[in-house]
Amino acid sequence: MPLSSALKPGPALSGVKGHELYERLAAFGGAPLDADARTRALDRFFSLRSGREKPGHFWRIDFESIVPDARAIEVDAAEVTVESSDPAVVVCDIATATREHPQLLARAFGTTGIGASKFGALAEAFAARGVFVYVPADHACDEPIVIRYHAPAGAAIFPWNVVLAERGARVTIVERLTAGTGAFICGATEVVSAEHADVTYAVLQQADDGARVISNRVARPGRDARFAWSLAELGGELAAGDLRVSIEEPGADVHVTALFFPRASQHVDLVSTVDHRAGKATSETLVKSAAMERGQARFLGNIRIAPHAQGSDARLRDDALLLSPTAHVDSVPALEIGANDVKAYHGATVGAIDAEQIFYMESRGIERAAAERMIALGFSEPAVERFPSSSLRDEIRAALAVRLS
Amino acid sequence: MNRMPEQRLRISNLHCRVAGNEILKGIDLTVEPGQVAALMGPNGSGKSTLAFSLTGHPQYEVTGNVELDGEDLLALSPDKRARAGLFLSFQYPAAIPGVKVANFLHAARQAERPGDFPPAKFRALLLEKMEQLGMDPSFMGRYLNDGFSGGEKKRLEMLQLAVLAPKYAIMDETDSGLDIDALKDVGDSIAALRASDEGRNTGFLLITHYPRILQYVTPDVVHVMIDGRIVKTGGHDLAHRIEREGYDKIREETGASTPLGAGAVV
Repeated sequence: MPLSSALKPGPALSGVKGHELYERLAAFGGAPLDADARTRALDRFFSLRSGREKPGHFWRIDFESIVPDARAIEVDAAEVTVESSDPAVVVCDIATATREHPQLLARAFGTTGIGASKFGALAEAFAARGVFVYVPADHACDEPIVIRYHAPAGAAIFPWNVVLAERGARVTIVERLTAGTGAFICGATEVVSAEHADVTYAVLQQADDGARVISNRVARPGRDARFAWSLAELGGELAAGDLRVSIEEPGADVHVTALFFPRASQHVDLVSTVDHRAGKATSETLVKSAAMERGQARFLGNIRIAPHAQGSDARLRDDALLLSPTAHVDSVPALEIGANDVKAYHGATVGAIDAEQIFYMESRGIERAAAERMIALGFSEPAVERFPSSSLRDEIRAALAVRLS
Repeated sequence: MNRMPEQRLRISNLHCRVAGNEILKGIDLTVEPGQVAALMGPNGSGKSTLAFSLTGHPQYEVTGNVELDGEDLLALSPDKRARAGLFLSFQYPAAIPGVKVANFLHAARQAERPGDFPPAKFRALLLEKMEQLGMDPSFMGRYLNDGFSGGEKKRLEMLQLAVLAPKYAIMDETDSGLDIDALKDVGDSIAALRASDEGRNTGFLLITHYPRILQYVTPDVVHVMIDGRIVKTGGHDLAHRIEREGYDKIREETGASTPLGAGAVV
């Protein structure tokens, strides 16, 4: 499904202007957006289609009908904490950045086109709480910056993060999302880096099973910059993600990693897009998923190489493990290649655990269920290994083990 | 007073069908604790099928009776058979990416002997066994059989044999594809287990096509299997005879049927 379908206007929604969501906008102040911009964003939310049509009759989620409960929206509903021990780095909430660092903020905020998608527009309309990170030139942050968001039960929150890394800067950011039952999160993250910067942005989403989490993330790495998204979508009854990297400068080295293990009646719907719009850049996308019980997932992996982006090297690998007959994973790698001097590879597998692997482990005294758990954890390991810091990796392994038990 | 259970692996009238074809046609065979029984036979005679039948491979329909130290083996699931003390050295062990050798072996040892090894102590045991087998310690951190050469896979099977120290070990063509040095290593590792406290009473069923492994491991008894039946049983000299004459002479003597296709009249 091409993402461009997200830009087609949706059905006319007469009377939407009077929707109670518009009334809620009045409570949101002028930072980082003024009232007109918020209204326009909400207009886009209602008029755009999600681009996430149902892949089949089995699919239980209709994205076009998702609208947050206006009564759940409060400006200060999100609980936000940030851990950063590096005084050379600017870390502040986005409203403060609007007042105190307007020029820095403007170099990244709203520059990645997030607001042009249906749920990016929704996040923009209610953007109020969020974190701005600025790393000055040639500065390396030794410790990861940790951003925690919690959406209390029943609340709707719209976190918006902006990261700006100057030339040669190095930083790792770990975003942790939790949410109570019935919570709704629709957030956005924009990462903009300059030449030779090295930015890793990892997300660990562990919302309660009754929460819905929609995220929109776009990175725009600079010339010869290294950039990595590492996304673990582990919670929520619905986790929908739009993960993009827009390569607009040559020489970028991009890594996209995603991990999801839907179980019970969870849905995960992830779209990743690496847009090679400048040449001599490399990208490697790796997705590992396992579905249990009635868990459902869809992964749409887009690789686009523009006609002038010669010398691009793009790889996409996506493997899904089905751990029950009622689980479902749809995997759709999509390559769109306009240049002729490029390397592009994609591979996708969906299947159950190999019976010979299970028998081999059983023959060593390991019970079948434990064998399946070890095999599934091993299966996810190549993706887990790409997350920053050994403690985060161990935490992800432990969380996956719990999901599998 | 209860009778002491019999301490041996006793296979009686074992039949096995795979995809409707009868492969094992009534096997009677006993493996004694602390002894080595060699099972020899040409390709396709059913040797590996016997190994999988004993360990409980799900694709094999097995009837008959197998007792491991008095326990009804065929009534158990594959993992329970292993916990009862049965081990199979696979001819083609499965690769399991992402599962590290050390973690896998710890899980296996814990499953077979619950609670006897905390991870740190287990690591020390593993390092000791690896050194005995001439394996580099980096093996521990590699993924199970993933990207292993044929020789490395065999070595990992030997390491598992050493770490698990089973009551009965079935070695399925462990010698196939190995050069003389590697073959000697296999012989040494079997000897090392037999010399250890844990492995003193391990009984071996050594399945092989070629007699050459028997230069390194001296069998107490040699069985010859042809076309799903044990057709001859003897001492070490039987292996020497096979080395000189091949299997055809025995086939003729015992009236075992000719291999499929050879001399068949339609």
